[in-house]
Amino acid sequence: MTTALTAVTSVRDIPDLPDRARMYRECGARLRTAMTDNGVDALILLGNGNVVYATGASWPLLDAGLSHVERPVALVLAGDAHPHLFIPFREGAASESQIPADHLHPPLYLEFDEGVHHFVTVVAELIPAGATVAVDELTGAMRRAAYRLFPGGPPSDAAPVVGAAKLVKTPDQIACILKACRITEEAVVDVQKALVPGVRQIDLSARFVRRAFELGATANMLEAIWQVMPTSKADGTWTTHGDLALPLLTTERELAAGDVLWTDVSITYTGFCSDFGRTWLVGKTPSARQQRQFRQWRDILDAVLKVTKAGATSGDLARAAIAANGGQKPWLPHFYLGHGIGTNAAEMPMIGTDLGEEFDDNFVFPAGMVLVLEPVVWEDGTGGYRSEEIVVIIDDGYVPLTDYPYTPYGSE
Amino acid sequence: MNTEILPDERALRLGRRERALAQMEAHDLDVLVLGRQANVRYFSGAPQLWVAGTRPFGPICTVVRSTGEIHLNSTWDEGIPDDIPHDHLYGLAWNPMTLIEVLKGIRGAATAGRVGTDALTPSFAKLLPMAFPNAELVDGELAMRAARRIKTPDEVAALRGALRVAEESLVTAVGELRVGTSEQALTGLLLEAEAAGGVSTPATQDGAWVTSREHPWRRARSDGRIDQGDLVAFSAGVLADGYVGEVGRTWPVGDVAGPEIPALYDRWNALWDRLAAACQPGQPASDLLAAYEGADEPLPPMPVSHGLGLGFDPPVVTSELRTTAAQEILEPGMVLSVTGYVWQEGVGAVFGREAVHVTPDGPEVLTSSPSWSRAGVGIS
Repeated sequence: MTTALTAVTSVRDIPDLPDRARMYRECGARLRTAMTDNGVDALILLGNGNVVYATGASWPLLDAGLSHVERPVALVLAGDAHPHLFIPFREGAASESQIPADHLHPPLYLEFDEGVHHFVTVVAELIPAGATVAVDELTGAMRRAAYRLFPGGPPSDAAPVVGAAKLVKTPDQIACILKACRITEEAVVDVQKALVPGVRQIDLSARFVRRAFELGATANMLEAIWQVMPTSKADGTWTTHGDLALPLLTTERELAAGDVLWTDVSITYTGFCSDFGRTWLVGKTPSARQQRQFRQWRDILDAVLKVTKAGATSGDLARAAIAANGGQKPWLPHFYLGHGIGTNAAEMPMIGTDLGEEFDDNFVFPAGMVLVLEPVVWEDGTGGYRSEEIVVIIDDGYVPLTDYPYTPYGSE
Repeated sequence: MNTEILPDERALRLGRRERALAQMEAHDLDVLVLGRQANVRYFSGAPQLWVAGTRPFGPICTVVRSTGEIHLNSTWDEGIPDDIPHDHLYGLAWNPMTLIEVLKGIRGAATAGRVGTDALTPSFAKLLPMAFPNAELVDGELAMRAARRIKTPDEVAALRGALRVAEESLVTAVGELRVGTSEQALTGLLLEAEAAGGVSTPATQDGAWVTSREHPWRRARSDGRIDQGDLVAFSAGVLADGYVGEVGRTWPVGDVAGPEIPALYDRWNALWDRLAAACQPGQPASDLLAAYEGADEPLPPMPVSHGLGLGFDPPVVTSELRTTAAQEILEPGMVLSVTGYVWQEGVGAVFGREAVHVTPDGPEVLTSSPSWSRAGVGIS
């Protein structure tokens, strides 16, 4: 591959708006390099996030229950500069694409034997005999036709191949993530203004989604979370590990003065996700104890950011966070200190999970990786503190993408 | 929605479970390992966090037929029915081996002979035999699909609730249709109304768009501006209490001059009469494709119909699956989302989507949103 790839070394390298043609070219090159590195000749991709990555196509995502039937499928060959895209038509869908017409095909219905029967002929035409094939999902119908669909033997898992390509974001992809963050933050400004005693949780969701779409969101990614935190861990919802539950679902509950909310929202802009989280307090100013929670959180974040740079490992960040938190992990047992983000709201690396310390110590950050840091602090009686900060890893540190105040915390 | 997250009502839950367990028996499945949100809800009756789009397969819900016991991937018990006890819940995990260890410990896993999964990744195809050492791994989606295709009366009631929210939201968005607004603003309004109506979980997010006068289905213009004489399509889709409600309508902008637009609505009405008439029990689903051909209208690029339930249910009726549609016989208890779509060069498209309950006595149309007509009947 001779394409010279662009890279982000400072905030100046992030364009205001993505150059879609360049992004398509560079993502394709990264994906084909990862295929070569993994000895894979052909990729068959069914997962929405993987198809967005491989083809540059984006659409207003459907609910999970609908999206496994009516979904785009990508077929990528290591020796072809363009992916094949099989795309269903959702009424009203925009049709911008960098893919040449001879690589655009009618939809595939891989849930059904008839659809897979057709796909067998497609695969036979496009994938050379003897090729090594990887796939990210096998439907029941694909499994029934496995011998015809994969005559060279069972396919390998496409997840590590796509994961390797996705890890480093190109400047244009970072521009997409940044735009998604800006849309989210601007929409959240309006939501926070509406945060008064008596407002319902779903009213906040309604205001958020309207503003986000008005501002150019492609899709809402996550049911908005406005979780009212319990007075104490013991008063909280039962959990398998005895720690806090998160995220609990939004209801028509009216918020009351003094409620501490942990918030979490995510949208996509042309297929790339934002992630937003802040702690809010309804109708009051934080007490001295609550402000101390925020300062402790900020100290942890600062300690983590101090070691955040290319060449650092997930283990380095986890240790810095634990040390700054007096030896305790400042994240919930079922989550992480931080995670990657891109065409999926949470991508590798996940820091501090059950994948284990060895995994974390072996995960070395490359420049151009985008990370969401979300430490959590808790003291009974305060509602705790949790916020999310997105950063791009560069050679000598990081570039922050999140730009939103911590109000009402930190402003004594 | 209420102020508390509650499990699905007992009758709804048990009615579904009975159907699914019967299909496990019919498909000779000892264990089902489910990863798809709709299947997980169908069996467990527990609401889950809504996240848009597909997700990779993972063992979220495991059902053992001999005991009827359900094991569920949930870190907390909010919204979990009391027939799934705490020791049957296991927390969120990122290491597949953590999940495999959980599955190993399930009573009945070691001796299971046939284990169905509703999808699979090559990695889990390798790992699952560690948890089910004596089992053949087979497709379990067919069994779930067979269970889901016919709705229990409680499910039909839940669908009516979802459709009500979708229809009210559509009316709200149509009420703001005027020259100078934009597709984004109307889509934002529609999604806002859905959320304010108690449903912050969209099933579809297409919202509103100007139909093209030049192309049968592309968007008319990239800036999304709404102009005089445009035909604007509205599509509302919600996921309420787990069930998908979808409705679609098309409205002209401003006063309608000339005969072209009324003529296009007449074509839609004639097509719809045939589509509705095709929703008869005992008839093949392919009659819905034939309805287009009978009305002399080209088949649209989107599926003409799909089942409504906790997601896509059979049948899925599209020109790409003609044999499947011909073999799929409509039965009482099915609920279909049916799409009528007609286009005229120089005018635009009329898109309409209705929900139809197939009853022993014939089709019952569950949607009743106002439609434009030449008599000028608007929204009251």
